[in-house]
Amino acid sequence: MTITIDKIALFLGIVLMLIGLYGAFSLKSIIRIILSLSIFDTGINVLIVSLGYLKGRTAPIIDGDKVTVENIFNVAIDPVPQALVLTAIVIGFGVTALMLVYALKLYQSKKTLDINQFSDLKW
Amino acid sequence: MVSPFYLLGVGLGLGFLLGLTGKNSKKYTSAITFVAFAFFVFFSISWLIPFALKQVTETLIYTAGFLPPFSISLSVGFYEAVFSLMINSLGLLSILFLWKKINSESNALGGIILVLFMTLNMLVFARDIFNIFVWLEIAAISTSGIILLDKNKFSYSAGFKYLLASSIISSLYLIGVVLVYFTNGTLFLNDLITNASGVTMSVTAVFLMLIAIVLELKPFPANGWALDVYEGANPAIGAIMSGGVATASLFLLYKFSPLLDNKFSYLFVIAGLLTFVGSNLFGIKQDKANRLLGYSSIGQIGLLVAIIGFRPFLGDKFEFIAITILVSHFLAKAGLFWLSDVIKQDNIKNWSVLRRKPLLLVLFGIFVFSLIGLPPFPSFFGKWELIMMLSGGYKFAVVTIILVGSFIEAIYLFRWLGYAIKLDFSELPEYKFELNKIIPVVIFGALVLGAGYYAGNLICLKTLNYIPLAFIVLLYFIDSLPAYIKNTLSILALGYYSYLILPNLYETDMLRFIFAVIFLIGGIITLVAGYAYKGKRQGFYPVALLMYVGLALIIQAQTTLEFFFGWELMTAGSYFLIIRGKKSIEHGLSYILFSIGGAYAILAAFGLIYAETSDILLSSLSVATQNITLIFSLLAIGFMTKTASLGLHIWLPGAHAEAESDVSPMVSAILLKAGVFGLFILMIAMGHNPEAEQIGLILGWIGALTALVGNLAAAFQEDAKRLLAYSSISQLGYILFGLAMMTHLGWMSAMVYSINHFLYKSILFLTIGAVVLKVGTHDMYKMGGLIKNMPLAFIAVLIGIIALSGVPPLSGFAGKWLFYNAIIDKHWYFQGAIVFFSGIVAFLYLFKLIYSVFLGQLKDNLRKVKDISVWFAIPIYILIIGIMIISAKPELYLKPLGTMISGFYPNGELSWTGGLANAPYGYWNGSGVMITIGIMFSLLFLWLWSLSRKAQKVKQFNIVYAAEAPQRPETTHISYNIYAGYYKSIGWIVAPIFEKFWSTMTEWIHSVSDFGRRIYNGNGQYYMTHILIYMLAFYFILMH
Repeated sequence: MTITIDKIALFLGIVLMLIGLYGAFSLKSIIRIILSLSIFDTGINVLIVSLGYLKGRTAPIIDGDKVTVENIFNVAIDPVPQALVLTAIVIGFGVTALMLVYALKLYQSKKTLDINQFSDLKW
Repeated sequence: MVSPFYLLGVGLGLGFLLGLTGKNSKKYTSAITFVAFAFFVFFSISWLIPFALKQVTETLIYTAGFLPPFSISLSVGFYEAVFSLMINSLGLLSILFLWKKINSESNALGGIILVLFMTLNMLVFARDIFNIFVWLEIAAISTSGIILLDKNKFSYSAGFKYLLASSIISSLYLIGVVLVYFTNGTLFLNDLITNASGVTMSVTAVFLMLIAIVLELKPFPANGWALDVYEGANPAIGAIMSGGVATASLFLLYKFSPLLDNKFSYLFVIAGLLTFVGSNLFGIKQDKANRLLGYSSIGQIGLLVAIIGFRPFLGDKFEFIAITILVSHFLAKAGLFWLSDVIKQDNIKNWSVLRRKPLLLVLFGIFVFSLIGLPPFPSFFGKWELIMMLSGGYKFAVVTIILVGSFIEAIYLFRWLGYAIKLDFSELPEYKFELNKIIPVVIFGALVLGAGYYAGNLICLKTLNYIPLAFIVLLYFIDSLPAYIKNTLSILALGYYSYLILPNLYETDMLRFIFAVIFLIGGIITLVAGYAYKGKRQGFYPVALLMYVGLALIIQAQTTLEFFFGWELMTAGSYFLIIRGKKSIEHGLSYILFSIGGAYAILAAFGLIYAETSDILLSSLSVATQNITLIFSLLAIGFMTKTASLGLHIWLPGAHAEAESDVSPMVSAILLKAGVFGLFILMIAMGHNPEAEQIGLILGWIGALTALVGNLAAAFQEDAKRLLAYSSISQLGYILFGLAMMTHLGWMSAMVYSINHFLYKSILFLTIGAVVLKVGTHDMYKMGGLIKNMPLAFIAVLIGIIALSGVPPLSGFAGKWLFYNAIIDKHWYFQGAIVFFSGIVAFLYLFKLIYSVFLGQLKDNLRKVKDISVWFAIPIYILIIGIMIISAKPELYLKPLGTMISGFYPNGELSWTGGLANAPYGYWNGSGVMITIGIMFSLLFLWLWSLSRKAQKVKQFNIVYAAEAPQRPETTHISYNIYAGYYKSIGWIVAPIFEKFWSTMTEWIHSVSDFGRRIYNGNGQYYMTHILIYMLAFYFILMH
């Protein structure tokens, strides 16, 4: 088995996801949990990109030279995963921002960021 | 038909614009958003109407001229339009509800709500799976945005937990989407569905997508985050979450359901049913209103998830079932959350403040009923069809689970309703009655009623008679008129209804005719006593008529559906009647729970019958050949909850004793006969099956023991109404016993007992009730010597107890005489001995009734008490005349009864020579006995009267007290604890074992609930763990 860039990326993505999950489930500081979730998101994005990679192909831009309307399916890579990643990054940004706002509000309400302190609502 | 892209334009455009405008324009935000939502609603309607008129078919809309997967595709069909209309009307009313809040908060709030609802629309329309991911994320972001509406530590932590959970869930979804794209090369749902059978589908990929959507729907037990949001956020946000977000997510699941193969359907069913039962179970112990609504909401959505899983089974009924249950939940849950915000009470015990505005209480009742699935609400018809279809597919285990879950839900909802109806609210703070908050609730309340009517028409093609129900609504609207007007109207209505159905029934069906007379004419007679009540008597007449309508519908029912419809109406009406009593809160609850449990047993039996005959005609009961032991047992248990047979009787004494004076005869003399009528229907259906004999034997024993225990317990009562209540239990035991014999004479005796019990129990309850109204207590030892003050009452009770005890010459004797003939005929000697013994016990308490109330020493405080109200005396004496007639001329009713029963049991009937009845073991002449006893009585009376002239009159206080006043005055009453000796020897028979059994059961359920709900420990990280474990567990199940 040869090590190719997409396999490295795949591996990296999975490692990032696991790191993120581990952090989100074990760390107690709300800021760290948010960061961990961000890392988890990034892992997913890397995973998506790696899955969309096709060896030896070029960017899917029809320039009339290397890539034309006729041969685009043979020489260019699939643009969809990259478009997905772009959207996912933007959304991840939005979620992270909102989480940070919540972190701020939570800190203001109790002067702590320990997630164990925020379990007033239960049962 | 407006293109859905305009929704995007308006939603996003206004959303951003409102965020950018300055503070000065804040006060216009509500108006602007309201107009935008009006456009949203218009959009939905513009699609719905063409679809409803079948002018168009499902339409696909693409962006930018590309075909999927390169473009975003939206699809609008009939169901999409329906869901969009539901969501958008909720949005419109939410804005109205939050009008002031939106104007006073930052101007972004209106924009965020608008964006959220636009997103929910898009979730419904989108056909691109990645696009759905985007909308899911935007929905999560905007939801957690509006959770911040209330600014306190609860909403902050709830919103944060929501964000944590939803980011994990949407990550799972995203991974699923990418894997699906990797294996299938498309993101277009329609293509995926076409490929679904192909080999390229990766199970893991589809699993990840589906489990993420299931997780969005808050499956039990991975749903702590959602519960916290329901509790911590403003209730109006709860309405949006439960009504809007959940509805859209559910549609998402529906969209994906064609992807399901059997394995996945199985997964949905497990997840859904687990949620339905688990969430309701954990909710039992909950007393915080909003969190409880959350539990209920999650449970209902769980049921709907299971229904989607059952899609292949439900065939063309699937949409009807899913939409009726969803619509009920949607309207009711939004309405309840809104009510919660109006009254601002978080503890369910404080919801009694609803009564400050009776309209709110009525709305609360409507919503609770539609959640439980009682008629005439849409969920009733949905649940009916669901049970029938599942039974038809032989899914009996699932039927059981659904009924158990519904029952558990009924426990806490009815407890809550009871609190609202009964508890004191004078200490609780006032709340504002703002019109903009009331209108949405009223609209949803009206819509759920309308939807029920519509669903009822869809399901049974207008055979249901809604005119009586309309009359009840009318009664509600004139509730502020004085009681006597409403009383007259009610009597006229019952009279008119009797006029409509009785003559025809007399010609065609004697059995139904007799019960219709008991229900309707009996209703009129007992209603006459209502004139004794002054003032408005608010809320009484609608519910009393509801019970009578239900009873009449049972009589008229041709199909099992109509029967069940009437049965549930009757149950609902009688529940409200019973809970009107001063101390009736717990009795009302135990009554309704036994009734609902019984009703579900009946429903399950009807389902089993449908499974075999594919028919809902009532006559198909007798066609069934499979599982008949189970069917008949279930039906018997169901009906015996209403006749209060031993083991299922514990609701009755309290319910009847604490009811109002004229309600007691309604719920005792009349209502219990509904159970008897049901048992008749059952026995007729059982007919001559070999299994029938065995069931009959068991029922006979239950009847005999009920008679004994009821009578013994009655003898030990100090409370007059409780005594009568226990006496009813035992009388119904006789009736059950007679029925169970399944012979001509057995049925004759059961029928005679039914008629007589109606007569004398009405007399006794009315009289004692009227006495209670005058003396102000039920306790017999606080009465005594009332004979001179209340001669009318005394005569009535005397005649009542003579008739009840079954001694000649009054009509009760006919029952006894037939009874013993029947027992000898049937050779049931052991049971017969018990019944005979309990007949003797009856004398003990009947004697007590007259002895301790009317004889003995008159109490000081009752020296000036007057005779019973004339409005009670009129019905009482009408009934006495009835007793006298059938006592003197028993052939008047025994002959037609004999003819009727000969239709079922032709052998062993009475033969008549004039007024002389001949049975195999003796003969009897009612008129002769009457005349003989009359002469004997007159002679004795004259002799005693001549003696009494020589007697010396002694005044009551012509005695000397030799000691101090006793500390417990009741111990000086001559009849207090009069049977203490008997109690020592045979009291163990009436030991409250059944009460103990049921209360242990209740405690056990509550402990399980309290223990189980502790998994929701409030920590966001644990909630994330739950989600991951849930996902892995289901993956494991799926792969094996």
